[in-house]
Amino acid sequence: MSLVNEKAPVLSNRQVGPNLHLMEVRSPEVAAAAQPGQFVHVRVPGMEAHILRRPLGIYACDAEAGTFDMLYQVVGFGTDRMTSLGPGAELEVIGPIGRGWHVPEGARRALIVGGGVGAAPLYMLACGLSRAGVAVTAVLGSQTSAMLVFNERYEQALGASPLCSTDDGSFGHAGFCTPLVEQALTEAQEAGEPFDYLAVCGPEPLMRIVASMAAEAGVPCEVSMERRMACGVGACLSCVVDTVGGKRRACVDGPVFPAEEVVWP
Amino acid sequence: MTARKPRPTKVRMEVDLGGLAMKNPVTTASGTFGAGMEYADFVDVASLGAVTTKGVSLDGWEGNASPRIAETPSGMLNSIGLQNPGVAHLKDVELPWLAAQGATAIVNVSGHSLGEYVAVIEALEEAPVAAYEVNVSCPNVDAGGMTMGCHAPTVEKVVGLCRAATKRPLIVKLTPNVTDIAEIAKAAEAGGADAISLINTLLGMAVDARTRRPQLARVVGGFSGPAVKPVALRCVWQCANAVDVPLLGMGGIATGTDAIEFMLAGATAVAVGTANFANPCATVDVLDGMADYCERHGVDDINSLIGALEC
Repeated sequence: MSLVNEKAPVLSNRQVGPNLHLMEVRSPEVAAAAQPGQFVHVRVPGMEAHILRRPLGIYACDAEAGTFDMLYQVVGFGTDRMTSLGPGAELEVIGPIGRGWHVPEGARRALIVGGGVGAAPLYMLACGLSRAGVAVTAVLGSQTSAMLVFNERYEQALGASPLCSTDDGSFGHAGFCTPLVEQALTEAQEAGEPFDYLAVCGPEPLMRIVASMAAEAGVPCEVSMERRMACGVGACLSCVVDTVGGKRRACVDGPVFPAEEVVWP
Repeated sequence: MTARKPRPTKVRMEVDLGGLAMKNPVTTASGTFGAGMEYADFVDVASLGAVTTKGVSLDGWEGNASPRIAETPSGMLNSIGLQNPGVAHLKDVELPWLAAQGATAIVNVSGHSLGEYVAVIEALEEAPVAAYEVNVSCPNVDAGGMTMGCHAPTVEKVVGLCRAATKRPLIVKLTPNVTDIAEIAKAAEAGGADAISLINTLLGMAVDARTRRPQLARVVGGFSGPAVKPVALRCVWQCANAVDVPLLGMGGIATGTDAIEFMLAGATAVAVGTANFANPCATVDVLDGMADYCERHGVDDINSLIGALEC
């Protein structure tokens, strides 16, 4: 599939939670081709001494309007610089990049698990599955209620509230979201309607635990891996992930990998 | 999106790099461009002077642990460790693809031992390769690479063995991590090199004060990007004054003006490396910028700039 390198004017950019920002850009070619789980490699203007692009997941995408959203957490210089950009500023984006989510054919019940901003690259998947008539259960975890910024969109897409957890107990289950995942898997199994697909994105320890729960329950599972990245197109081998098939590139062989292929550190 | 090629110009851009005919002076720095396939959506690889492929060894190498890169002011560190699937894969997949595009291929040859360099060249003698670049300068491997390239007698020996294995143009890529790069360049020339490429990355390091840990899993890595350009220019100028063979200059080239500076310092051709990461069309932008410079300054043959530094 071909990649484009496209100027992407910023349409809006606002803070939606602690350290969390939502940016909408116009990028018709990327928006037309983006598949759930893919990402863009972003050249952020005004930081010339920082020579690398930043990989960011595509959150929501409107092919007709030619726009897409990125929900990003400020983690360093690049994302911090991004918060200062508003309408009139222009990014340059390479995309849409990577292997996205691959739902098994005939799947009828899917469990989606998002930890923190990991919920963003799962949203298009949730929408697509829901439209296709797949029953979707979403589990979203965050540090605190103010960071549960995905609920509204997920609720709209799924017609049901996501199961939520917060580390500080300010909303939903108090603690990590893994007990909610365990519970959802068990209940589905006991009801005789087990999940036939699980997609998880978030911190690596979370993905590792959820992947092992899925394996235990016999549910096919995919994970989305994050690595430091230079080229973003598969050439430089900076972003490799250890897999049973050797070191593979997060950018183009992933970012989404079948969980059983990942060799966790 | 259509792959870009350099704009037409009346300036004569062809250069001869030690017997390697290049349609223009720009190639890619090994390891930053794969074998060109990954950039085919952005750049018409046949329109470049050459594509220099990622370092290849006899059998595949797994490379180093992650994290493998770190961004630093105006530069970056990498510690890939020459991960590659081995020469058979290059021969079966990438080289036929480059040939089908009509591209000129320079193969960067790596090895853990003297014999491995020779074996890689022997494995490629029937393949569509225009020239070899012998990598005695990678800072990210424990054997071969820079460990060989820091010692003049070893450089002369490995180049001599490679020379005996091929009649094709033989380029030797040098490390800047030495006391006197001109001495190493002379050893490469004495061993039978047709051209010398420089610089490979500078050995560097980055520390995360918050975690008190190195930013790279292997602690040290190769430093590249705009920050290294002054060092690279100095190395090119020193070698140009020390040897008769032509030079392939690289290190922080991101614009046409950067490339012209390398030619003035003594390079016959140049390579674009780290700049490809931020700008996938960097090679073509550099070529267009070189043509701009020549047209603006009344230069009708780019060869007239080689070593034309006035000092």
